[in-house]
Amino acid sequence: MSSPDFSPVTVIGGGIAGATSAIALSRHGFPVTLIDEQPVAGGQIFRAPSPYARKIVPPNHEFSGGDTLRQKLAASNVDVRFSTRVWGLSPTLMLDLLGPDGINQLPAATLVVANGATERFLPFQGWTTPRIIGLAGASILMRNGGTLPGQSVVVAGSGPLLFSVAHQVLELGGRVVAIVDAGHRSDWLRLGAMLSLDPARLTQATSWMLRLKKAGIPIHHRAHISEAQETGTGLRLTVTEMDHPERRHVYATEAAACGYGLKPSTLITRTAGVQHRHDPVGGYLEPVTDTAGRTSRPDLYVTGDAAGIRGMAVARLRGLITAHAIAHDRGVISRDTYEALTRVPLRQRRRLEAVSRQMLPLMNAGSAIPAHLQDETIVCRCERVKAATLRSAIQAGAEDLNQLKAWTRCGMGPCQGRMCEDSARGLLAAACGKTPEEAGSFTARMPFFPLPLTAVTGDFTYSDIPLPKAAPL
Amino acid sequence: MTQALHTRPDVFDTVVVGAGVMGATTALFLARAGQKVALIDREDMFRAASGVNAGTLTLHMTRAQLIPHAIRGREMWLDSANWLGEDVGALATPGLSMAFTEAEEELLRQRARVRQEMGAPIEVLSAKETIRIEPGINPTLRAAAYCALDGHIPTYRVGGAYARALRQAGVTIIENSPVEGISPATGGGYEVRITGRAHPVRGHRIVLSTGAWLEKMLGWLGYDIPIRCLINQLVVTETLPPVMRSVLSIANGLLSLKQFANGSVLIGGGWQGEGNIHQGGTRVIPENLRGNVRLAQHVVPRLNEAQILRVWLGLESETPDAMPLIGALTPDEDAFVVGCIHSGFTSGPYMGRLLAERILGSDPDLGAFDPTRFSSLPATGTRP
Ligand SMILES: Cc1cc2nc3c(=O)[nH]c(=O)nc-3n(C[C@H](O)[C@H](O)[C@H](O)COP(=O)(O)OP(=O)(O)OC[C@H]3O[C@@H](n4cnc5c(N)ncnc54)[C@H](O)[C@@H]3O)c2cc1C
Repeated sequence: MSSPDFSPVTVIGGGIAGATSAIALSRHGFPVTLIDEQPVAGGQIFRAPSPYARKIVPPNHEFSGGDTLRQKLAASNVDVRFSTRVWGLSPTLMLDLLGPDGINQLPAATLVVANGATERFLPFQGWTTPRIIGLAGASILMRNGGTLPGQSVVVAGSGPLLFSVAHQVLELGGRVVAIVDAGHRSDWLRLGAMLSLDPARLTQATSWMLRLKKAGIPIHHRAHISEAQETGTGLRLTVTEMDHPERRHVYATEAAACGYGLKPSTLITRTAGVQHRHDPVGGYLEPVTDTAGRTSRPDLYVTGDAAGIRGMAVARLRGLITAHAIAHDRGVISRDTYEALTRVPLRQRRRLEAVSRQMLPLMNAGSAIPAHLQDETIVCRCERVKAATLRSAIQAGAEDLNQLKAWTRCGMGPCQGRMCEDSARGLLAAACGKTPEEAGSFTARMPFFPLPLTAVTGDFTYSDIPLPKAAPL
Repeated sequence: MTQALHTRPDVFDTVVVGAGVMGATTALFLARAGQKVALIDREDMFRAASGVNAGTLTLHMTRAQLIPHAIRGREMWLDSANWLGEDVGALATPGLSMAFTEAEEELLRQRARVRQEMGAPIEVLSAKETIRIEPGINPTLRAAAYCALDGHIPTYRVGGAYARALRQAGVTIIENSPVEGISPATGGGYEVRITGRAHPVRGHRIVLSTGAWLEKMLGWLGYDIPIRCLINQLVVTETLPPVMRSVLSIANGLLSLKQFANGSVLIGGGWQGEGNIHQGGTRVIPENLRGNVRLAQHVVPRLNEAQILRVWLGLESETPDAMPLIGALTPDEDAFVVGCIHSGFTSGPYMGRLLAERILGSDPDLGAFDPTRFSSLPATGTRP
């Protein structure tokens, strides 16, 4: 074993994976800095509830799990930087941060990226009304804010979040008008059969399903919202069956929550230049990693859902394994110790991952939808780009996602294409007979989110500006 | 889009290498005159300088000697419906170049005089007059040079418009095809070799228009011209209520500031980033981002309400005398170059058309741009 290298480690993301990893790294003796945009740790699942939500949302595993994680972090030596967002980074892993004191830079010798997942959204006619929100957004609103998106809610899209959100609506006394799922019923049954491997999930899923059943909520499988119209008091939603487009169902509702599963957040890893691959089952781009989260860069690890969607139980195990792997790679622990420390987590993880993988096709069940978008449907909300505009650019020769972006502005707005990338890619791939991988991905650009101009300029006078020498006359 | 190439290649009248505004315009006018033209790019077309530039149609920032060309280029952009086939949305506005210190005012007056002599309708205004035109400007300014002929163009709309026009004119567009070598073909003309393709593309004539990548390619033809690569920074904000109408710049030329119809403000001016043209990849230098944005906020104080949406860098090329390279590279007149043109997006359509006309046999005055001027080769060059 070479002499141990205790150079500092920077962790981006204080969710389950990142916080677990940071704590474990600090126990191994590394100086650890943990960065997260939220005011406290917890990430998406373990997000700290508002005092109001604590009062009215029934106690649950997410609240208690989050509290425990936050306590452990507080008791550790991890240097935490909350309310701090990474808005860019250089190839040398110099991080650009926006924190409570404005912008600054932080060099990272070793970086652990644990920035989690982003919800995938697929558009339909009329989706840009504020009465329609994402499933993940709806969940945060209810779980952590104690607020319903509307008294009546249509829950639509794909993946397990459908049932979790529907259950949360009932929990807060709302009415679930219908559940609209792009997935096959048979895929759910197959998942159900595997849940015995994950007893915690099994119990949870059983109680949700019983409750939804008792409430008599209509569930459509292989269906999607094809159109939303605003009425004076709410929405009129048309639901179309994917295999029988002539079969339609119309619902009146106050609000709708819609999302098509999760995908890894890759802005940071793509900017850092690590290798990525398109996962055909999940239908998303993910960094190429080994079991421990090692990437094509020796100084960069990815852990948790940022390395591929596997869910929260796996995220904790991944965070732990990544921390041990770094300790091993830096010569802090021996191979034997590494193996002893990771044997149980790896075994647990294999079992849980078998279930998680079964969820990927369910999350990606909407992949065929973008090919059939109506011409009038807005794909990119930020720049108001319609499907017809994309189709005519493709016809003029834009056969790569970045060229399509350059010619139509689709994906150039404040959200960096988070909302439109999947549908633009799906539409392009279908139109040119390409695989999603061939269609490409939007190039990541800085800043990753809109940055207040004054955060960059600060206080200054004219003479502070280092004016370059005059351009040639 | 890459049209299938036959296994036994046809011989094109002209093979244009580099599909930015220079190469694409040349290709377009050659094809319209009846030539069989291939246009090759290593990426998708219009993705380098011609796809990422600031779209300022400016005389204030153009090199004085190029003002006549810039005036014509600007006119072409404003008239794109007629020659390109669609209106790409160019907008005519005035341009104001400002001075905040005594030294800047002197520079401003001197530069305005030279540009006036070259035909730019520029007059110097007092602070008061300037603020009447642009009420949002920092009132501490001392003077401004006003040019009636300025404006801007939404760059992103240009690539698609060219693609449609080129196809309609019958140009064979070969994208995602890096050219890795050019050699004289037996029996005349050239063979253009593309990485990853078995068969070269053959042409009786070649045009090199690879922008910042020209140096290496000129080397293949025996020219040793050091070409400096500028890595220009641009910053765009989220949409704002109207804060300016004109294109704004400062005396030394290191700022360009405009607000598009959708309300977003583009901040440029040639502040530099870092990067390596051969390995690719560029990055923002934080002090230069700060400097550029401070300058913008100084000029239009209301930018303090803005959110920065995106920062990016693009590559521009410059010859040792900062003048363009346009013209023949060989005495046989079968190899040509067009590039390294300051504020080249403004004058691009005109320069490309001039070269097409030159190739087609007319004799526009390209004397100052003669690519052989740096070379030890005789003025007419020798065939490599
Ligand atoms: C950030 C920025 C802002 C600017 N702002 C303005 C402005 O506001 N107003 C203005 O008038 N001008 C502006 N300019 C300048 C203007 O953009 C350029 O002068 C002009 O676009 C150059 O056009 P070009 O066709 O010569 O080069 P490019 O557009 O760079 O085209 C060269 C092409 O050659 C291709 N190529 C390179 N190597 C190979 C190879 N081996 N094989 C095949 N193809 C190859 C490239 O892929 C590229 O498409 C700006 C430039 C930059 C970078």
